[in-house]
Amino acid sequence: MKLIILRSNLKEGLNKIDKIVGENLNLPILKNFLIETTDNKIKLSATNLELAITNFISGKIIEEGGLTIPINIFSSIINNLQTERINLEVKNNNLIIKTDNYQAKIQGIKKEEFPIIPKINNEQNFLEISTSILKQSLCSIISAAQMSNIRPELNGVFFDFQINSLKLAATDSFRLSEKTISNNQFKTQINKQLKTIIPLKTIQEVIRIIKENDDKILIYFDANQVLFKNNDLEIISRLISGDFPDYQAIIPESTETEIIINREQLINAVKLTSTFIDRLSEIKISIKEKTKNIEVYSTGQGVGENQYLIPAKIKGPSLEIVFNWRFLLDGLKNLNSEDVVIGLNGNNKPAVIKSPDDISYFYIIMPIKSS
Amino acid sequence: MDLKKLWQTTLSELELQISRPNFLTWLKNSQLIEKNKEGQIIIGLANNFAKEWVENKYHKIILGILRSLDETIKGIKYTVITGPTKEPALKIRNTQHEKINKSHPSFPELKIDPETNLHPRYNFNSFVVGSSNELAYAAASAIIKDVGKKYNPFFIYGGVGLGKTHLIQAIGNEIKQLYKNRIKTKYVPSEKFVNEVIWGIRNKRMDDIKSRYRNIDVLIIDDIQFIGGKERSEEEFFHTFNALYENNKQIIISSDRPPAAIPTLEERLRSRFLGGMIADIGLPDYEMRVAIIKTKLQEQNSALSDDLCGLIANKVRKNVREIEGILNKITFYRENKSDDLTPAIIEEIIDSSIQQSFKNISPNQVIKVVAEFFETTPNELTARSRRKEIVEPRQIAIFLLRDILSLSYPNIGEKMGKRDHSTAIHSYEKISEEINKNRDLNQKVILIKELIYKQ
Repeated sequence: MKLIILRSNLKEGLNKIDKIVGENLNLPILKNFLIETTDNKIKLSATNLELAITNFISGKIIEEGGLTIPINIFSSIINNLQTERINLEVKNNNLIIKTDNYQAKIQGIKKEEFPIIPKINNEQNFLEISTSILKQSLCSIISAAQMSNIRPELNGVFFDFQINSLKLAATDSFRLSEKTISNNQFKTQINKQLKTIIPLKTIQEVIRIIKENDDKILIYFDANQVLFKNNDLEIISRLISGDFPDYQAIIPESTETEIIINREQLINAVKLTSTFIDRLSEIKISIKEKTKNIEVYSTGQGVGENQYLIPAKIKGPSLEIVFNWRFLLDGLKNLNSEDVVIGLNGNNKPAVIKSPDDISYFYIIMPIKSS
Repeated sequence: MDLKKLWQTTLSELELQISRPNFLTWLKNSQLIEKNKEGQIIIGLANNFAKEWVENKYHKIILGILRSLDETIKGIKYTVITGPTKEPALKIRNTQHEKINKSHPSFPELKIDPETNLHPRYNFNSFVVGSSNELAYAAASAIIKDVGKKYNPFFIYGGVGLGKTHLIQAIGNEIKQLYKNRIKTKYVPSEKFVNEVIWGIRNKRMDDIKSRYRNIDVLIIDDIQFIGGKERSEEEFFHTFNALYENNKQIIISSDRPPAAIPTLEERLRSRFLGGMIADIGLPDYEMRVAIIKTKLQEQNSALSDDLCGLIANKVRKNVREIEGILNKITFYRENKSDDLTPAIIEEIIDSSIQQSFKNISPNQVIKVVAEFFETTPNELTARSRRKEIVEPRQIAIFLLRDILSLSYPNIGEKMGKRDHSTAIHSYEKISEEINKNRDLNQKVILIKELIYKQ
């Protein structure tokens, strides 16, 4: 293999794949990435055997071929090089990097040893969506998920394709977020319900890699894997087996107390009052019927206490409720409307946070039992 | 040679021929799943990467080894094992999640098993059996032993908060535990069924709903009365019911009243329900209430003296769920205020929780609920008609106005269409007397009261 590539192209390509390369004690080749030529394009691939990312970059191909090389060594060379034009050449399982004034030889492993990246069997089963909608939707729900050893089926984002809509949901059992994408925002031939859980790590990579623009991205669903694909990128991942919990039962049908409040102000109040919060992360919100303010309060043992008053429209009975302040903040940050509506049903039932005029999204949070 | 042994032998030979890292990476958790008559073998691998790799690189070696062990083997197919992921392939470091976990309550609904829709909380250990539910319990036990054959359909009815849902979910949980995956159980509140039918109609995917319900072995439908009057759902349920029934699949149904008393239910469905076993769950007697209180306390790892248990059992007669609420309040009181519970404090807790349930009820609401229950209108109820179908509901309404709201007789007379107070007195006394003799009437009054409390 013999190539001439621009440094910026190579760097950008490496950035897309390098986050998933990690330690694998059994199979050292997984520390490597694969660079090869195919159909007149240069292809970079990396995998951790849970997901694989493939990415095409442009460059001049003088001779076809391929090799796998340790990504950390290669990346640090490329990052520190000053020259824009880089010559790459494979000779006897070594990669030779050459610029005007620099030369390096990296020992590689031949490409036949690299894991074969799986293919999707059913090429009809895909959904086409704009990258910006997908990215924004995923960003708005992902903070409700956290990796946990207890329930593997929660370590992912739930894709619930309902024909007339696509619902995305995530929960860590303390909060839950759901985003509905209606069918005028995507195109698909799929005509039956489809429920699947995509690992959190995969979704994080998708969010990290795809750019927010009007380009389309295709999502292919297979029996036990999913593929995100556009012109120069392919992310294929296993799915999490198991059923996502039937979370409909968590969504309150109605709420007794409702407050409408400026989002920025509440975020600010939560951040400010959190100064005093100790390990328990508790923040208390007091709502009094027929008043025009809510009070955000926190205290830290041996440190002090503080409260913050924010104007709000209040409907329904008075209430004092305690939240984990980070969870509350996550929910507020996921919205982008000026005001938010917070619906409550007493101080030990889940609270709903949503925007007053966007019904496609909500965030539900479980309060802490107040003592 | 059985499949497991065959695969073990193959693996140990394979281990000699390929490098250790490769062996560990690709063949860990592999399985020989099946061998069919044509000599085809199916090998299950841990993930798609392993499948691709083994298929492309080791196929010849594996086939060679397998053939040397068993000549009848002709070919191999590879597949990915999809089962519940036992451990995440990538190690998760101790995250924030575990730290939060202890103090922060999580969504209780997430404990529901997504496959069967059953909540693990409901089991027979915590189900107290007494004279008011022993028939239902006996039938349930018989069903578990002999699923689908003995009492089918099993229709169970009773008032709110008396343990219908507990019993039918416990049946489901028990069946699941006993028969594991051999019997597919599904618990569906009828509202959910209706919603699915609506989804099916909207998206023209009724076939999905049909097939989803027809390969269930034990279908448990809760609160069937909600389906009444929703024609398409009733029809769909009727067909599902028949399909399951004909194939000897067990059907368990609950309702707040007997099939004959669900006015909007289609005749053909009603007759189907009547064809099986019908059992009711009534109000628990004193001893049973004490037993329930003790069981609940045990679940919460706390205890109360016999006197105090007796006091609660005496004061709360109508609703088991209410008992649960009161016990929670007592536990809360103990943890946060004082350990020293006197009868006076308990009485106060009970009064405050029961009071709440009637606090917001107006006389008009009572009249409206009674009218709706008997499928008439408040106007007709308060009018002059002396038809039998109206007279009894009217008397019941008067009785309830007195019983629940303690209105004065003249006031009741006024509210019930400007009647004389003596009419109100007569009606109240008549119903008070009748409910002790007439079980049917008693049942009706209890049901209406529950409907009122729900308002």
